[in-house]
Amino acid sequence: MEHLSVVAQGVSMTLLLTLSSLLFGAIGGIPLVLARRSRLALVRFTARALIELLRGIPPLAWLFIIYFGVGTGVIELSSFAAAVIGFGLVSSAYMAEIYRGGLTAIHDGQWEASDALGLSHAATLVTIIGPQVLRVSIPAAATFAIGLLKDSSVASVIGVQDTIYWASHESTVTGDAIVPFLWAAGLYVAMTIPCAWATRLLDAKLRKRVAR
Amino acid sequence: MTFFNDWVDYFPDLLGGLGVSLQLTLVTLLIGLPAGLVLALAAGSKKRVVRVVAIGVIEVGRGTPALVVLQLFYFGLPTAGMTLTSFVAASLALAFTTAAYTSEILRGGLQAVPSGEVEAAHALGMARGDILRFVVIPQGIRIAIPPLMGFAIMVFQATSLAYTIAMPELMSQAYSIGSITFRYLSILTLAGLMYALITIPASSLSNFVEYRLARHR
Amino acid sequence: MHEDTEQDRIAISLESVVKKYGDHTVINDVSLSVREGEVIAIIGPSGAGKSTLLRCINLLEVPDRGRITVEGNHVDAGTQISHKDLVRLRRNVGMVFQSFNLFPHMTVLRNISLPQERVLGRSRQEADARSMKLLERVGLADKAQQYPSRCSGGQQQRIAIARALALDPRVMLFDEPTSALDPEVGLEVLAVMRELAAEGMTMVVVTHEMQFARDVSDRVVVMAEGAILEEGDPADVFTAPAMDRTRKFLRAVLER
Repeated sequence: MEHLSVVAQGVSMTLLLTLSSLLFGAIGGIPLVLARRSRLALVRFTARALIELLRGIPPLAWLFIIYFGVGTGVIELSSFAAAVIGFGLVSSAYMAEIYRGGLTAIHDGQWEASDALGLSHAATLVTIIGPQVLRVSIPAAATFAIGLLKDSSVASVIGVQDTIYWASHESTVTGDAIVPFLWAAGLYVAMTIPCAWATRLLDAKLRKRVAR
Repeated sequence: MTFFNDWVDYFPDLLGGLGVSLQLTLVTLLIGLPAGLVLALAAGSKKRVVRVVAIGVIEVGRGTPALVVLQLFYFGLPTAGMTLTSFVAASLALAFTTAAYTSEILRGGLQAVPSGEVEAAHALGMARGDILRFVVIPQGIRIAIPPLMGFAIMVFQATSLAYTIAMPELMSQAYSIGSITFRYLSILTLAGLMYALITIPASSLSNFVEYRLARHR
Repeated sequence: MHEDTEQDRIAISLESVVKKYGDHTVINDVSLSVREGEVIAIIGPSGAGKSTLLRCINLLEVPDRGRITVEGNHVDAGTQISHKDLVRLRRNVGMVFQSFNLFPHMTVLRNISLPQERVLGRSRQEADARSMKLLERVGLADKAQQYPSRCSGGQQQRIAIARALALDPRVMLFDEPTSALDPEVGLEVLAVMRELAAEGMTMVVVTHEMQFARDVSDRVVVMAEGAILEEGDPADVFTAPAMDRTRKFLRAVLER
């Protein structure tokens, strides 16, 4: 049990890192998805290339590029800042794709109706379509968030003091290389279960409310 | 221009690391996919005990970060009397995670096989094992191919985690060259691009296969 | 399940069969026997339990009560039915479905040969030879190497019939074999069935094809609400039905 109290110190950091990255991604995904659907081919292509690169390179590689690459040569970054930027960028790409899925789920009739009402494209996007896209995107975003929570463990490699960081620490200090990691596994599972449960609930609720 | 000079100088070293990453991906999939199929079948078993155990393994495998499993296998098993080389530990750990995730993908595939065909096979008097082997599994796997390809790309990315257990894969190679030369940015960027050079075409291929399979059903 | 010793001429017998889905009774105490070589047409409104009754014969649906006997092998509802019992009973029964249910990932030839190899233990050559003979018989020998998706619905259904016949069944069950087909395509399937009937195959056919029921069957069974309303010679049932309910049903169907 002493192991648990040490390992559990990292839970708040795991949650903080996950939520910060998710927030970064939820906001960063918006300009990316708009660029991805731009009328200008060049903008479209650039956005798509960016999304592919962000998703195609492992998160650990991004963290290394930002923490060691940018962080040592260009500007000084804390490991936490580097992790949030790294996971935030990767999340932006995934969130952009989730928003894109949400956009196609909104019925074309709503664009047409807004058109008929004389709303501009931008106004329609902001007042009519945008809120609905955010809403239909929540289930997919929640599934992504659960994955992100687990992936966030990678940040321990650059020194972020999260759950697995403390498990490694405890195992080095006590020489027990099994129990601290089992506790870490248990804590991650415990963190994901309420997430998965809430997702299912939310999904069922939202399904009724959005016109497709 | 030092960026590009670095790239030219260290590309061959990184290429060796990439080879190790690809090997690790391959071995992981060779162990993990069949195990995933076994889990998928067990999760659909008529026997309650088998079903419960399989679903338990799947949930734990999906709920635990791959990095935790990796640390447990590499650092934990030796203290229990089983010392594994970093390659074996990484293969087994990633295969465990792979099996848990792909079992869900495969289960979806198996369930997508039309029940009428299974019924027809029963009506023909085929044994349950034969129905699985000749009717359900071949079609279920076919349906599951695109998402499995997508997952294989994730496995390739996850091999970078083996950096933490001192395996000489692409990430480790890049980091150790970086720490000697202090050219972190150029070398780590090159390593990142080398991952992308594999994953981006691979995901286009998986999209293409998905499109083709959808059209030919 | 036991082998009955006495040689009777009954191919299929259903005794007091009951089938429920939850609280809903789909088959309510139905008894029916079919003689060797007899062709039975089961007709009636949808939801009458026709298909369920048919599927009870080869135990795709396991009844809640009653006894099913096919070619001397019987199974009692309510007892533990082993897989061996199922296979033994099904060995004598071929079935053709509304939706064909061919295996889409196998060629037409493999569809017909594989069950022969796995169920009867025939060699590949033996099975293929038999399959080709049956394909010729249903007029589709040229499709042997094609995949089912390249065949029309009528062709697929004829292939499904060949697949069932390849296992040398003594009884054939047809579950609305032409309902998924255009009328003119349905005719080619009905032609194969007529031929089969003429050769003396024991057949139970759930159908909406009144013409076929009238011309080909030896006996018509009218079902409604999970029970047999009446049964008899097609000429009698079609011209002078005993029950009012049958008369209404026939009028509705024939006037369409």
